[in-house]
Amino acid sequence: MSQEPAFSVRDLHVSYGGQPALKDVGMDIEPCKIIAVIGPSGCGKSTLLRCFNRMNDLIPGAKITGEVLYNGQDIYAKDVDPVTIRRSVGMVFQRPNPFPKSIRDNVAYGARINGYKGNMDELVERSLRGAALWDEVKDNLNKSALSLSGGQQQRLCIARAIAVEPDTILMDEPASALDPVATSKIEDLMQELKEKYTIIIVTHNMQQAARVSDKAAFLYTEVNETGKARWGILVEYDDTDRIFTNPRDKRTEDYISGRFG
Amino acid sequence: MRERYRRELDSVDQDVVRMGALVEQAIEQATIALIESDATLALRVMEADNDIDDLYVGIEKRALSILAKQAPVAGDLRLIVAILRATHDLERAGDLAYNVAKVAAKQVPVARIKAISGLLVELSAESRSLLSKAIDAWAEKDVILARSLQDFDDDIDELHKRFYREIFALKQDETSFETAMNAALVGRWFERIADHGVNVAEGVQFYITGQEELLG
Repeated sequence: MSQEPAFSVRDLHVSYGGQPALKDVGMDIEPCKIIAVIGPSGCGKSTLLRCFNRMNDLIPGAKITGEVLYNGQDIYAKDVDPVTIRRSVGMVFQRPNPFPKSIRDNVAYGARINGYKGNMDELVERSLRGAALWDEVKDNLNKSALSLSGGQQQRLCIARAIAVEPDTILMDEPASALDPVATSKIEDLMQELKEKYTIIIVTHNMQQAARVSDKAAFLYTEVNETGKARWGILVEYDDTDRIFTNPRDKRTEDYISGRFG
Repeated sequence: MRERYRRELDSVDQDVVRMGALVEQAIEQATIALIESDATLALRVMEADNDIDDLYVGIEKRALSILAKQAPVAGDLRLIVAILRATHDLERAGDLAYNVAKVAAKQVPVARIKAISGLLVELSAESRSLLSKAIDAWAEKDVILARSLQDFDDDIDELHKRFYREIFALKQDETSFETAMNAALVGRWFERIADHGVNVAEGVQFYITGQEELLG
């Protein structure tokens, strides 16, 4: 790897209420790359994603062991404030979730509570431009965010995420509720965003993973002997070209070819 | 999962084997027509080339449809790419058999030049045998058999060189210039058929290993 990784995950185990959800994950994530996390339902993709900004802390009974180094610092170390991590590692969810406020307030919200002292109008414009939404909303910044289309709302959420100037954006199926045109806009936007940000995206859409990502991680569900406990493992993590043309593991091949899952 | 897709992919894959069998048959019959100066058989071989072409067009259409609608990845994607390449080679090999049949249909007495007729028959048999093995390797997805064809092709190249040397050594009273030239062309076409067989074998290797290694 030419650069220091943005994230280094080592021996990561996650359990909820004593039940394992993810076992023994290890991976390095280079900065300014798009990483797709793929795998069947229930394999721990979202659980893994939430480990990168300590969102699992919010789930009662969640226990995380192992290391997630972010720019060399263990984000699960005792003296680390999860809020600080979430400021640097933003998140965009499956369904667009703008606040019932104006477009401007949605973008300014995070910066305002962080005590942003700069020119707020400039920040709003810069963030909306960064999310490829400015031209569509610049004359209606005071309109309710809820008046926007689904695709515009999702880009607004991306603008809101980048307004607090993170360096990583986590995306949990950001286009699954959008039509193909809105999906293309999000995918194009991701390519622009990766010039500045590291992006980790969970997606069920194999073609989307193949189109947008530089590297792909395939997670798969393992089941114990009694069939009662199941958890996710990282089967293969490699360049997206390699994963989609010649994966090393048969389970990856079978899954992406639609033989199971 | 995706059973219709898998069935369609398997069926297109099988059609490559069918197409290979038709090409093999064309080579065999074109050679018989040449040796026995059987113009009727030669014309039948030329007509049968339409079946090979139809199969080629059909396979290509179905492969494109799979690419467009099913977005195959990994091994499936490599198989489709290998199918598109292999059928192109088989179609060319079919055209070369057609050319041989055309020489036979014109009753050019290439097989009656005593000094070279044995070598010509051998060249035809060896090239057909290589193509046949390539089709077997395809049908069984047998990468070891596919790789073994490289040495086989080297032997055919040597045979082809010997064949050329014999043509250059022909005396004026042994044959006409036109017949000698046709003989040289027919020999070249058989040698090219073997090359197309090697390309088909390379497709098997690409499908199985994902590596582009040129055998010939």
